[in-house]
Amino acid sequence: MTDRSSRVDLPQGTLDLLILKAIALGPQHGWAISDRIHQISNDVLKVQQGSLYPSLHRLERRGWIKAEWGASDNNRRAKFYELTRAGRKQLEVQAGAWRALTLAVNLLLDTP
Amino acid sequence: MLTDLLVRLHAILRRDTVERELDEELRFHVEHEVDRHVESGMSRADAIRLARIEFGGVEQVKEDCRDARGVGLVHSLGQDLRYGVRTMRRSPVFSVTAIVTIALSIASLATVFTLGQALFFRPLPVDRPDELVTVSSTRGGPTTEGLVSYPDYVTFRDRATTVTHLAAVYPTAPLFVTVNGNAREINGAVVSANFLPMLGIRPALGRFFRDDEDQVPDRDRVAVISDNLWRNTFGASPSAIGATLKINSVDFTVIGVAPPAFVSLRPFPLEVYIPTMMLRVGYRWCDDSLAASCTVLEMLGRLAPGRTLADAAAEMPTLMPASWAHAPKGENSGVVVTPPRGAFTDDAEQRLVRILAGVAIVLLLVCCANLAGLLSAQSAARAGEFGIRLSLGAAGRRIVRQVMTESLMLALAGGVAGVGLSRVFIGALSTMFYAMDDEGHPLHYDFSLTPTSVLTAIAAALAAGCLFSVIPAIKVVRRPGLVDFKRRSTTARWSSGAWLLGAQAAVAVALVAVTGLMTASAQMMLAGTNFEASHVALMRLRPRLVKYAPERAQRFQRDVVQRLEAAPGVESVSMVGIGAVLGGGAAGVALPDWDDGQRLRVGYNEIGPKYFGTLRAPLVSGREFDLRDSTQSPRVAIVNETLARRLWPSGQAIGATMLVKSIPHQVVGVVKDVPLQSRADVLQPWAFVPFWQNPAEVDSRLAIRVAGDPAAMLPMLVHEVNRVDPDVPIAETITLPIQMAGWMRPLRVSATFIGYAAAVAILLTAIGLYGTLAFAVSRRTKEIGVRMALGAARARVLGLIVREGLTVVFMGAIAGLALAAAGTRLVGHLLYHAPTADWMFAAAAAMLVLIVGLCASLLPARRAAAVEPLVALRHE
Repeated sequence: MTDRSSRVDLPQGTLDLLILKAIALGPQHGWAISDRIHQISNDVLKVQQGSLYPSLHRLERRGWIKAEWGASDNNRRAKFYELTRAGRKQLEVQAGAWRALTLAVNLLLDTP
Repeated sequence: MLTDLLVRLHAILRRDTVERELDEELRFHVEHEVDRHVESGMSRADAIRLARIEFGGVEQVKEDCRDARGVGLVHSLGQDLRYGVRTMRRSPVFSVTAIVTIALSIASLATVFTLGQALFFRPLPVDRPDELVTVSSTRGGPTTEGLVSYPDYVTFRDRATTVTHLAAVYPTAPLFVTVNGNAREINGAVVSANFLPMLGIRPALGRFFRDDEDQVPDRDRVAVISDNLWRNTFGASPSAIGATLKINSVDFTVIGVAPPAFVSLRPFPLEVYIPTMMLRVGYRWCDDSLAASCTVLEMLGRLAPGRTLADAAAEMPTLMPASWAHAPKGENSGVVVTPPRGAFTDDAEQRLVRILAGVAIVLLLVCCANLAGLLSAQSAARAGEFGIRLSLGAAGRRIVRQVMTESLMLALAGGVAGVGLSRVFIGALSTMFYAMDDEGHPLHYDFSLTPTSVLTAIAAALAAGCLFSVIPAIKVVRRPGLVDFKRRSTTARWSSGAWLLGAQAAVAVALVAVTGLMTASAQMMLAGTNFEASHVALMRLRPRLVKYAPERAQRFQRDVVQRLEAAPGVESVSMVGIGAVLGGGAAGVALPDWDDGQRLRVGYNEIGPKYFGTLRAPLVSGREFDLRDSTQSPRVAIVNETLARRLWPSGQAIGATMLVKSIPHQVVGVVKDVPLQSRADVLQPWAFVPFWQNPAEVDSRLAIRVAGDPAAMLPMLVHEVNRVDPDVPIAETITLPIQMAGWMRPLRVSATFIGYAAAVAILLTAIGLYGTLAFAVSRRTKEIGVRMALGAARARVLGLIVREGLTVVFMGAIAGLALAAAGTRLVGHLLYHAPTADWMFAAAAAMLVLIVGLCASLLPARRAAAVEPLVALRHE
């Protein structure tokens, strides 16, 4: 298990962005989404599984992602989520906003 | 936006599918996680354990997902409702108390609402009532009715374009109807031929008037009868059509029967209709009732298609008869168009309904205060339960919502029960007070339930539910000691509950005091001050209806008095010429040395000999009128004390000369004041002159003092009058106490209603006090045990609890005294006696509420005193 101190709590609202990004390349089911975020972030970002699914359902309600039942790699029925057109646009908007924010915060922090 | 709606709808409508999918999705996740752990070399059991721990509470996640899909509210509402039912079943005493409390107060509110609606807001019981307009004349001054003469009506009818079928109606015609040998006075209407068709009413049997039956004066003696008359006098037989009906001694032929659904446009049911061309039979106070000088008809019409009330209001003034332009003061000179009024627009009734509505709202608030107190106690008792749920992760607002859901369920049940109960109250109200007017004529009001009144009552119940649950619900969550739910036996003070209880006690005191004042007022009025109402029978003799000339009528009246005085059981007989036996009209009086035109307006009546003796009103000095006071003898008058004091302050009334209606009269007697005025009014000066000195008298109202029960004597008395002349109509055969009860209807209705509210308020105070104290005692068992173990006597413990209860009630009662004084002022116009004894009623009310409070406190106090110290200390 990863050391607790190296894990970062997700700031409010970033989970949605990460989910959108995680499925940008293709449909994924919930477990794969959480695994993907976990791996790509080098184990730093650990999605609270309790909040992953409510987020998915919320994004679905907003029309940014849509869900479809399909077969998983081990051939079991799983619910796959993929981006809708509105979701793709939302991902660009949120990613842009995030970059602007981190850039600004970095500038501030790097100032001696 | 659209997806949002679809997802929500899907979630709600196909809940089972959505739930199953959610379940499957989460299970897939957990199993995937387990597989991974197993792959990394864990035992399966450990893997399952770890996966579950990492995932957290499945139910919580599901709940969050439901929230995210927007279905959470509906789902959890269902849960709340199910849970609410369970809670209600678990504490049936509280639930039943709450439902009954709400039902009792909502019933009073629904009753007032139905009453107000029936009196003022009911649409007329006709086809498309919103199209109807009333066209009334104005007289440039304060006049009562906007009535017109027949020729003026025709002028409007024939030229109006904005109103089709302008109809004329004289709706309060007292008709003396003889059918099959039975004679009685009933209320009829003289109507234009288009009246019933214009209202959209169709005959139940036969036909209504043809236009040609309403064109030639006095020619077409045809009548339409009501469903009621048809059933009661013709046995609902079809042969009624063509039968003969004698109306005011003229023979009419029955041509049709009105449908049962149409009773009247007014509270007075219409039994017979005759055409306007027969107005000379139906209206007897004009020499020629069809002349332009005889204004007796109301005009009612239906707006032409596409026309509005404003159109009609603009057109009607252009159609005024030419003579109206130069009308002398007090004659018709203008015209207004209004929507037809409801059943009644009576100031006294409006004031009454406003008072009752105020009382009903206060009662509902008292009920809210009571339930808020009980609910606080109940939810404090459930603190442990709520604490557990909060610490298991339930959201605070969720618990608030649950408490409120439970309250709203109780409120809804109470509201429905209240509407049902209000039917009983309305039934009682209509038979007790609204079945008959003060002259014994039947009244008709539509008190049936409307969707509006049901919805209003239910809405009020739900609003009350919100009101009484919101504070306790918030307190549940805010309660700081809630988290440590283990400490259950700590001292529970009830400061906010005390305020609510005090307020209830205060309202109870005020309501009881006002009820007492009103009941006493009605009783004192009926008992009579300076007169005796009991044992007096009344009847009205109306020879005018059958066109008797004054000479013949007066001969008849003299014979009647003589015959009645000789009848067994009759003590004395007298009469009045104007208005009711205890009423009359008004006249201007003056002293001979006053300036021209200076007048004092006084109450006035023309009375028979022995009038004051019959009413047992004592004379201060002088004599009554007797048979020597006739048209041949000098004119005489009797004044009451107030008028005597006003005109002759030095006391020399007897023998003085007074101008009554500009004619000199010699004062022969001074009678004691008979106070009939409410305390808001002052005693009126009165002047009386002899009935027999007015040669124009035709009709009279008799007062007959009998030895026994006047109601039982009335048939015999009527029979005696019939023996003098069977053709003279007799009406208004009731007793004086019943007539006076009719005058006091607003007082009696309020006394009954406020009495009910007072009883409920006292009951609520007692329940609230008992409930709160009992709860406090149960929470303080340990404290009481400690006190007793340390040597407190049982009597001291008893006193401790009783004192706590009584302090609250005492404070409330003190406030109630002030509230009672304010309430008394509000109903001053209904009260008859002087306010000197008011404080006694308030004090008695406060005592009563204190005694009830004492009883309600004693029960829990005795339980506290019965606590066994050892048992209490071992408790927990």
